[in-house]
Amino acid sequence: MQAENPSNPATALSDPERWVDEHGDYLFKVALLRLRDPQKAEDAVQETFLAALKGGKSFQGRSAEKSWLVGILKNKICDHYRKASRETTFTDLDFYTDEESDRFVADGLGQGGWIHERGPQEWPNAGESLDHALFWKTYRECAGKLPEKVAAVFNLREVDGLDSKEVCALLAISESNLWVMLHRARMALRRCLETNWFGKQA
Amino acid sequence: MNFWQKLKSDGAALLPNCREATRAQSERLDRPLPRTTRIGLWLHLLLCRWCRRYGTQIRFLGRAAHDHQDELAGAAPTTLSVEARQRIKQRLHEEK
Repeated sequence: MQAENPSNPATALSDPERWVDEHGDYLFKVALLRLRDPQKAEDAVQETFLAALKGGKSFQGRSAEKSWLVGILKNKICDHYRKASRETTFTDLDFYTDEESDRFVADGLGQGGWIHERGPQEWPNAGESLDHALFWKTYRECAGKLPEKVAAVFNLREVDGLDSKEVCALLAISESNLWVMLHRARMALRRCLETNWFGKQA
Repeated sequence: MNFWQKLKSDGAALLPNCREATRAQSERLDRPLPRTTRIGLWLHLLLCRWCRRYGTQIRFLGRAAHDHQDELAGAAPTTLSVEARQRIKQRLHEEK
């Protein structure tokens, strides 16, 4: 470790401890939304600063510095997702085999059709829900039930709005795998919100 | 693929059931669908209000999440705790 040197011009450049004060909260928020776990989010923020320190760049403006750090953080988050996607748990398998079998006609003439009483219901004034904090809480809880890698895919594709090819490249998965995961995610979210929010609004 | 096999697979794509139509409606958001699948979905949606609703709802949920990221993130602790802040600074200091 190097001793503090007051004449060192580096103090005029990006001081890593100042980063923590200026950008720490923002990075933490970005990480928390995607990783859903405060501990993991803190770790990701720390790794980001460490990587930034090694990168050793300096910036003129705060906003350039911020977007540079956010870029590093997103890479860290993707590393985490890639690691997570190698581990498939039993609950994940349940999630994949289900596909709402109980809502479609199992056999006979109408096979694969919605069982009418259990098909998608009308969502009256859906747009107004967006103003309710409780709606968002329900949304969060529903998304929280998705297996981690499915939630990761949904976040990158729908929340961040990356295109399919980018998501596949980031997570190292095939496109057909991506489509299946997104289909399951949307189906599960729709059902969960219908049961826990829209169905209770009448 | 011989003629009969092709006819059979095109026929299946042109007459999807609801289970298949829900999948196609999701995939349509992520990639351009093959032509027969697209036509089949269109025909299905003309006749099936359940699937029309389904499509509207999944698009609504996706757009809502994209447009309201702050609400989705919620009011939960969105700042680093004092301890975390200290720990990270300490760690950075060691690394310097």
